Amino acid sequence: MTNPLKQAGGFEVEIVPIRGELNVGPQHPGSGHMRIYVKLNGDIIEDVDLDVGYVHRAVEKLSEVRTYMQLIPLVERPAILDSIHMNLGYIIAVEKILGVDVPERAQYLRTLAAEVNRIASHLYGVGILAIFLGHSTGFMWGFGDREVWVEILQALTGARVTNSYIIPGGVRRDLTPAIKEMIEKAIAYQRRKLKDWYKIFVRNPNIRSRLENVGVMSKENAIKWGAVGPNLRASGVYYDVRKIEPYAAYDKVDFEIPVYKEGDAYARLLVRFEEVEQSMRILEHVIKQIPEGSILSDRFFKQIPPTRLKKWWEGQKKVVFPGYYASFRPPKGEAVSRVEAARGELVYYVVSDGSPKPYRLRVITPSYRMIYVFKQLAKGARYADLVAIYGSLDYFPPEADR
Amino acid sequence: MNLLWDIRYYLFYPSFFVTIIFPGLIFTTIILLLTIWFERKAAARVQMRIGPLYVSRRVGGILQLVADAVRLVFSEIIIPNGVNPTLYVIAPIIPLIFSFLPMAVIPFSSIPPQGSIFSVYSKAFYDQEIDQGVLVGYFIQYNLIVALAILAVIPIFILLQAWSTNNRFAILASVREALLSVSYDVLIVISVVAIAIEYHTLDIAKVVESGIPGIVANPLAALVFLVGMLMGTGRFPFDIVEADSELVVGPATEYSGFLFILAMGGGYIATFAYSFIFSDLFLGGWLPLSGLPGALITSIKAIIVLWFAVFLRGVYGRYRLDQALRGSWKYLLPVAFASLILGLVVGEVWIK
Repeated sequence: MTNPLKQAGGFEVEIVPIRGELNVGPQHPGSGHMRIYVKLNGDIIEDVDLDVGYVHRAVEKLSEVRTYMQLIPLVERPAILDSIHMNLGYIIAVEKILGVDVPERAQYLRTLAAEVNRIASHLYGVGILAIFLGHSTGFMWGFGDREVWVEILQALTGARVTNSYIIPGGVRRDLTPAIKEMIEKAIAYQRRKLKDWYKIFVRNPNIRSRLENVGVMSKENAIKWGAVGPNLRASGVYYDVRKIEPYAAYDKVDFEIPVYKEGDAYARLLVRFEEVEQSMRILEHVIKQIPEGSILSDRFFKQIPPTRLKKWWEGQKKVVFPGYYASFRPPKGEAVSRVEAARGELVYYVVSDGSPKPYRLRVITPSYRMIYVFKQLAKGARYADLVAIYGSLDYFPPEADR
Repeated sequence: MNLLWDIRYYLFYPSFFVTIIFPGLIFTTIILLLTIWFERKAAARVQMRIGPLYVSRRVGGILQLVADAVRLVFSEIIIPNGVNPTLYVIAPIIPLIFSFLPMAVIPFSSIPPQGSIFSVYSKAFYDQEIDQGVLVGYFIQYNLIVALAILAVIPIFILLQAWSTNNRFAILASVREALLSVSYDVLIVISVVAIAIEYHTLDIAKVVESGIPGIVANPLAALVFLVGMLMGTGRFPFDIVEADSELVVGPATEYSGFLFILAMGGGYIATFAYSFIFSDLFLGGWLPLSGLPGALITSIKAIIVLWFAVFLRGVYGRYRLDQALRGSWKYLLPVAFASLILGLVVGEVWIK
């Protein structure tokens, strides 16, 4: 068959498919700690391979050679900006094996710390999305506003990130009136600032046009691909572990779960901002309702020597570790815990064989479940949308690699 | 006495003074440093930060740029394997030259017959359209077209730059540049043609000397030119070619050291050249003054335009390529045509 155009003596128009591969990362400003192997056809992404594992730290394997207490700082490392949740999920699983009752006040404090951490994590995620879209103001504001919440965590737990705040049977430090006041001030500040956020970032026509109808995930696909957290709720699925299977004090505080039907990147952004608002509502409830009492289970509290108790607990409202923690041997058994981390459902599976070290620890982090979602959403998108999808999923490679 | 007079004569000879001293090479370099400083400081103010402060704390970190430049100048220039070294080195230099060349033909002020330091040159730089001398590096009667033509060449050398570095990100960026340049050049040319029809001339000096700023006579053309200028020089929200989260640094990805400064400086200088054209055409140029103070007025207006362009970094993110193309062809092109019609009508009715 000859080209009819050529036969007629006209110019021959040769259409060359412009296919090529791009190695985005791991040393790339828009890749994070992983390589995204993008197959392009012109400006359209045909397929992406997420080459994860660049920051794999073998947390699961290492946990087989560490005692239960040594594991607390380790399991926080995969997601240092969401460390309270990483910590909380692990401790809930360990407590299930130990069979410990946690006092009411400690439950409230866990909720408080988790929600402060959720706000900080969402602001971080939004900041990353902003810089991916070239909006440097959103980036700086995200990190600047996060600072307010990180300071609260510092006052409460003693560390900005990797707090190791939650221990089996309770929490390490008590809430003081000064911290309460800090939180109230922070809420007032953040409410004021959120209005500016909506003006310059969320309702910015430039940002809207970059995010609307980008990376659309239908309800069916979201369930099929196993999306979690804010990304799942932005696709119209009402699912939040805090409501479905309440842990800590979530059954006693009043809050709503924002759900959007659209399933695009913009809906995911809106869900995050509304969750920040809801988290502040929870914080207000917690501050109002928090009961007096101990912050550590009596079973452990009794083991603290009276002299140390006097110095640390009565003086500074801090818990010193009882001797039991040094290398306790939980009974044989296994436990699964689920918590709603900032990026979605976080699952821990701990198997104990009666020794001081867990036989097996399995972590299913929300970002891990985002890998497949990311791969599917990026297909057929434009190359410039790769970072918009990445940022809107709030995918965090170290968390996925563990 | 005679020697001093000669020195003065040659120092202030417009072809030298305008292109090299003010507002040419030396002044532009200083303004370039100040602009980047302002860009950082203004963005920092919006973003709850302080901005550069460590270097020269007393003057607000203004020397940070000098420190950065010194550091970059002394860092190694890496030439990748498998590129043509000659092309690789000259590729960032040519766009810089072509961004700077329009400065030689853009009129910065008029020369009154008496009283100004430039009055002696008024015969040599005589412009019959305005019946007096023009302070310009090289006087051409069609300087409007010449300046734009020189600026329109830049994208070709950006393509060359990306091609010679043999980097995939750079090549993707150059494809974006090629697609964008088609759309913004059309916008700029149409808006300038509207002004040319309106003022019945292709001489920038006559547009200014008519006494009516273009932004009053044809606001649509001013809008279209401004957006085209933002697009053409890669300022936000059209920072599509150098999109750092997608394409690293676009065409300049492979460059390091001094070549990197040259590759990045071209964009700012082109913005400054466009700002001069904008301030002449739309903001009344050197009016109400003339001579050397007139050139100062033109420069101040141009700096305001330039600083407005770089300030947008604090407000916008970046559009996608297809959105920028759709915006320019679907929404701005009709506005450009409307400005053309407006120019026809106003030129017939008002401006003689």
